[in-house]
Amino acid sequence: MQRRIVVTGLGLVTSIGTGREAFWHNLLAGCSGIGPVEAFDTSVYRGGTQGAEVKAFCAADYLVHLDPASMGRASQFATAAARLAIADAQLDVSALDPERAGVSMGTTSGEPNEIERFDDHVVEAHLERIGPEFIASYPCHVIPARVACEVGFAGINMTIPTACAAGNYAIAYAFDVLRSGRADVMLAGGADAFSRITYTGFARLGAIAPDICRPFDRNRKGMIPGEGAAVLVLEPLSQALARGARIYAEVAGYGLSCDAHHITAAHPEGHGAVRAMEKALAHCGMPSDAVSYISAHGTGTPTNDQRETVAVKRVFKEAAYHIPISSIKSMLGHTMGAASAIEAATCALAILHGRIPPTMHLEEPDPECDLDYVPNAAREHTVHVAMNNAYAFGGNNSSVLLKRCEG
Amino acid sequence: MERRVVVTGIGVISALGDSPAALHTALCEGRSSLQPITLFNTDGLVCKQAHALASFTPEIYLGKKNLRALDRTSQLVTAAATLALDQSGWSTEMRRQHEVGLVLGTMFCSVHTISEFDRRGLTLGPNYVSPMDFANTVINAAAGQAAIWHDLRGVNSTIAGGITSGLHALAYATELIRNGQATALLAGGAEELCFESFCGFERAGLLCGARHGAEEFPIPFDARRNGFTLGEGAALLMLEDADLATARGAPVLAEIKGHGSAYDLSRGTASHQAIDAIARAMRLALQDAQMHPGDMACLSASANGSVLTDRHEAQAVAVVCQEGVSHLPVTAVKSMLGETLGASGAMQTVALLAAMRDDVLPGIRHLAQVEEDFPLHRASPSNQQVQVRNGLINSVGLDGNCCALVITQWNGI
Repeated sequence: MQRRIVVTGLGLVTSIGTGREAFWHNLLAGCSGIGPVEAFDTSVYRGGTQGAEVKAFCAADYLVHLDPASMGRASQFATAAARLAIADAQLDVSALDPERAGVSMGTTSGEPNEIERFDDHVVEAHLERIGPEFIASYPCHVIPARVACEVGFAGINMTIPTACAAGNYAIAYAFDVLRSGRADVMLAGGADAFSRITYTGFARLGAIAPDICRPFDRNRKGMIPGEGAAVLVLEPLSQALARGARIYAEVAGYGLSCDAHHITAAHPEGHGAVRAMEKALAHCGMPSDAVSYISAHGTGTPTNDQRETVAVKRVFKEAAYHIPISSIKSMLGHTMGAASAIEAATCALAILHGRIPPTMHLEEPDPECDLDYVPNAAREHTVHVAMNNAYAFGGNNSSVLLKRCEG
Repeated sequence: MERRVVVTGIGVISALGDSPAALHTALCEGRSSLQPITLFNTDGLVCKQAHALASFTPEIYLGKKNLRALDRTSQLVTAAATLALDQSGWSTEMRRQHEVGLVLGTMFCSVHTISEFDRRGLTLGPNYVSPMDFANTVINAAAGQAAIWHDLRGVNSTIAGGITSGLHALAYATELIRNGQATALLAGGAEELCFESFCGFERAGLLCGARHGAEEFPIPFDARRNGFTLGEGAALLMLEDADLATARGAPVLAEIKGHGSAYDLSRGTASHQAIDAIARAMRLALQDAQMHPGDMACLSASANGSVLTDRHEAQAVAVVCQEGVSHLPVTAVKSMLGETLGASGAMQTVALLAAMRDDVLPGIRHLAQVEEDFPLHRASPSNQQVQVRNGLINSVGLDGNCCALVITQWNGI
């Protein structure tokens, strides 16, 4: 009998609120974290002025051991989210065997602000200003390393930088580690910081919406770059029950695949996305009609949303029209490597509370996107099984299944 | 019955050759690839040597078409993948029928591509940079590009952990095969040499020769060691479910027996914690392999000439092996290949697989005087005749990550 793995804690740092309660309240209310970019000047950009930044965030409010000044912005988000997740899970860290407690984090860019500062020095011909802190704080594996040091977890420490699907990959890895008995508790999630490199790139791809993010709307004009972090506490069911923990949901399984088609664009018929969904269902021996909610990748770009819709229809056939689907990127923008971790937390909350967040700004239906996207208002809906879909540059596709924990 | 994971192909692009045999020969001849850097301008830097690939010609492995979309790291990975797929017999036709995936370990993927994209934006303006260059700035770009090139539609993942990335990728892939998520995966690591990472390590004072009068080459475990040198390359293994490999009559080169990982919360600053974490990763790998320290034929050390991490590793070996320590032959290929970062663990694995074929373990170049209190009695500058029926491979990061892998000869089912 395989170990069953459950979610018992959620920590979130997002543009619509920090902490599980503020996040969930604002998400259901349809609040938007999108506004003019403050991190850098976007006036020269032809293609984008808006972003979804985390404002008024002070890592020192959450950290116990580490000095926020010693780390980059993504690590600050991640360590704060980890602290929040542990508190939410009411996990007594001192009672854990630290060697059997690990961290698994996904990210798109690691600490991009560190290489940006490096580049400023190079461009200004001030190499002498590059100090030892660059190599100590830039590489993306610093994110789970900082989390481990903050909370004292000395077990497996993993970084999975699979771009915009990274959070899902990190959760899937943590699930495997726990199932195979290599750890007793894992912190898993994703983190990314607002970055001029990312912003410039998406602007040059013509992918950034001029005003707001309208996933699945006929007039959708693109995505909005964002930032944030989410960390989930994962542990075996038996342990969660023994300590009387609140259980949000059970991680049922996952599926990963690669398009092997194009480095930035999804496959036109969604081949890879279909295989990820099918593999996830097969992994937990679940028929497709068991799925009661889909958290979409739903970036708001014309091609993503159309191709994603095609893929969902291929997997669920007629039933696709009856499964509520939402894209919270309509409110949070695209938080990159954090996105699918925030969305996994959303799935867990939807399962626990029986409520589904809306896809905001869906005013005019697109004939090519004709499924039920829960437009503009949260909905009461019993969620037995939630499918969390995330896709990425490199053709990295992922589907994670969470289900109501029963028995 | 747990699925067993075997190696059916090797692809290596290293500064000492592009085949396991060529690499092994060079290592056994004590050749070093250390050269003055010509790849980028070293003005303003004290250290000026590295182990660059002298003549990496991607066309040899990939043909001339479509190469422009691939940066140096992507070219290294895609070329190594060609070699591993060829040796293991996974033809294009077979890959259409059966999913093959890729798990790539890398520290930076291409921090050069990332930085160059950003600097162009700064100097030309953000409206004048190439969107195609942006596609390669994501850390999973090389794995994605290699997947497109070779039609690898299975699990595609990128693992980052600094120096331990490559070994972590092999461990991650091994688990995916054991638990049935995949049956055939290319796995290993890659890292390119570039100005950005070189400058970063140099500024941190981690490279050898930074101090006046210090040796300008890496000497793992030696009392004179004062830092490491940077290298580059790619190493991928074709890993398969043993049942699949035997059913299709593939050549089985070795078995991945076990792996272990641990994190040092002091990040190398407290010796006892650092030693404990390295020892823990080794013990977990042995446990996973259901083997004892005394069963091991040799150790491929992570040692790269770093003052502290070499010490921690040496003492961790003693902790794990106890009285058996004097009998464990040790090699440290970074004395000749340099520190290839995310590629290094996979590079060590390839070198050890090659050593298995002729039972010679390469000596540690320049090693003259093993530091007095390092309990490594079989670390030697000379090659050692050893029956390499198995081996333990260590990977120790500069900032707390530790990983170990056990490989053995394949003894059938």
